[in-house]
Amino acid sequence: MVPWPYIRAGSGEKLHNKFVTDKTGNFEALMILSLNGDQRAYASLLKETSRFLRPFLAKRLSFTNEVDDLLQEILISIHKARHTYDGKRPYKPWVYAIARFRLQDYLRAHYSDQLRHALELSEVEESLPEYVTETTISYESIRREVQKLPAKQATILQLMHQEGYTAKEVAVKMGMNESAVKVAAHRAYKILRKKLEK
Amino acid sequence: MGNIDDLIDRLAQDTAAVKPAPHPYLLSLQWTGVAAAYLILALVFSGLRPDLMLKLQEPWFVTEIAALVCIFVATSLSAAILAFPDLHQKRDAAFAPVLTFLLFLPVILCAWNADSPPAPLPVHSFECTISITLVALLPAVWTLYIMRKYASTHGHWAGSIALLFAFSVGALWLRLHEINDSILHVVEWHYLPILVFGLAGLWLGKTLLKW
Repeated sequence: MVPWPYIRAGSGEKLHNKFVTDKTGNFEALMILSLNGDQRAYASLLKETSRFLRPFLAKRLSFTNEVDDLLQEILISIHKARHTYDGKRPYKPWVYAIARFRLQDYLRAHYSDQLRHALELSEVEESLPEYVTETTISYESIRREVQKLPAKQATILQLMHQEGYTAKEVAVKMGMNESAVKVAAHRAYKILRKKLEK
Repeated sequence: MGNIDDLIDRLAQDTAAVKPAPHPYLLSLQWTGVAAAYLILALVFSGLRPDLMLKLQEPWFVTEIAALVCIFVATSLSAAILAFPDLHQKRDAAFAPVLTFLLFLPVILCAWNADSPPAPLPVHSFECTISITLVALLPAVWTLYIMRKYASTHGHWAGSIALLFAFSVGALWLRLHEINDSILHVVEWHYLPILVFGLAGLWLGKTLLKW
């Protein structure tokens, strides 16, 4: 009787060499050999499979260690489910079906785990600094402080930030050179920062 | 990467010749055959309805039974396909029960329409659901047990379709056993509960068909 599926016992080695050395990888034939108990063919098949599955997983997961973990899980699943493949239909759709299934499982577990460990805002509300988004600095307070600056600095800031002149234009307007305007503006910022931080 | 190579080596060393699963059509044929034998046995033990020959002359009764047989066959085929991770690359065939249910619906509506004047309601009610459940129990357990040996990636649907397959056996049995002409009763206590069990199968499948 001819053993399943179509390969005679003696022809296994020849076929193995043919397919294992074939760089394009005839997955279906390798799987047939694997189902017949050919360990080398099976190792080659799993190696090739992990090669094309890695980018598939990498596209969908953020971290390399996640890809490795899931890839291991998928390879084990392929091993467990190998009897559901008969070598008479394309191999890749079968593998991708298992890979997608395990990926969905992984993502479901991962996200439900994240949700389980997520904190309600009300739980941490007490420990949050108060009014984190509120500030006492207003447009009016800045304007008041600008007016208290030396006249030259105040004019420079007013021209640059209220009227939209560039440093170069202010320099022309005030009969100064550009770098002197920049230095004066810089000093004014420092004074303002100090005052407003108080 | 090293871990993957180690794992591959270990899996390769662990491998031995494996007998592949039968084709889903063959699997479905086996399930249908065994379930049909079980149905015949159940009918032999419980007895056929005495007015069966008379009922077989009523076109809507015959159509209803034929539609039920279609559901029985289609669910068996779909369950067999759903047992494979890639649906054996026969996705369309997995949807066969949808077609048969769509066929079943107008058949029931026509049978309802033809039930004029309406046949008297039987005195019993939920007993029918219980009887169907008891008859369907064995095929349900057996089908799910067999399906666990495969690798379904559609646990929800596989469980649901497996239960619909088992309960279609129960529905066929009761329709051929019970003397009852009320289509209203049949819908309420035979078919609607089967749909509920089908929904329960969504959860059961996810739980039992994990691998």
